[in-house]
Amino acid sequence: MTGNRAALTINAMVNNSKKITAIFAALADPTRRRILVRLSNSGDRPVTALAKPFRISLPAISRHLSVLEKARLIQRRREGRVHVIHVRAAGFKPAQDWLAQCAAAWDFSFDKLDQLLRNEQRKEDQDEVRAKHQR
Amino acid sequence: MKSELSISGNRLQITRVFEAPRRLVFRWWTQAEQLQQWSSCEAATKCEIAMDFRVGGSFTQKMHLLVNGEACEFSMTGTYDEIIEPERIVYHANFGHVVTRVIVEFYDEGKGTKVVLTHQGCPDEFFSKTVSQGSMESLDRLEALLASQAVAAPL
Repeated sequence: MTGNRAALTINAMVNNSKKITAIFAALADPTRRRILVRLSNSGDRPVTALAKPFRISLPAISRHLSVLEKARLIQRRREGRVHVIHVRAAGFKPAQDWLAQCAAAWDFSFDKLDQLLRNEQRKEDQDEVRAKHQR
Repeated sequence: MKSELSISGNRLQITRVFEAPRRLVFRWWTQAEQLQQWSSCEAATKCEIAMDFRVGGSFTQKMHLLVNGEACEFSMTGTYDEIIEPERIVYHANFGHVVTRVIVEFYDEGKGTKVVLTHQGCPDEFFSKTVSQGSMESLDRLEALLASQAVAAPL
């Protein structure tokens, strides 16, 4: 990775920190996850239709929707008097990228650990051979 | 990428087989002097770790990075929740914006050791349902990122 890419990646991590917090916080609630799954399965829904299968009040659903909206995981549009909710797939990207960075960093670290372990093993093997010769 | 990666349900799992016995592999996780030698990222010029390796003990990892010729730092902290030698280490890590629970498991695999590292930071169904609904595009992207990127290693 070049210095430039590293800069971009690290800046992205810092700049995205608020976004990522909002996304993980939004997803931490099971009702909100069910709302997202429902929207993903059945496409855009009006708020009232979305609320139906959940045994909670409309104001409670509204509160959940506003958390999801602030995390930019959904979008609301008006069709006359009806609010229609739409999932923003792109909204998940910062969290996905964050996980990708975690995985990439581990892989890089594991390469180094692998090398260190090989060196250590080689040294142990040599010590063993030397010990045998001395006997 | 030599590690195996899987994202399912609420977790990110990275599996790697090392050609060394379990007690040796485990030892590299237990001391700062040893961890410092491998746990960092490509942009890191120096990695400082202070750790109290016991249940309830905490650790900090500070990385000095050289980015575009400019020095900068990246820090993270964590606390050990469970330590079973030489089988299992559980801790939670705080990245400032995200807290994840990390489970590291060590298994015998022939003469070597299989390390299974699990990050639980994202809630259930996040990736398996909502994201995968979108398309496989996100996973392709992830693979591309993995092939090309390495950044601050989350200890």
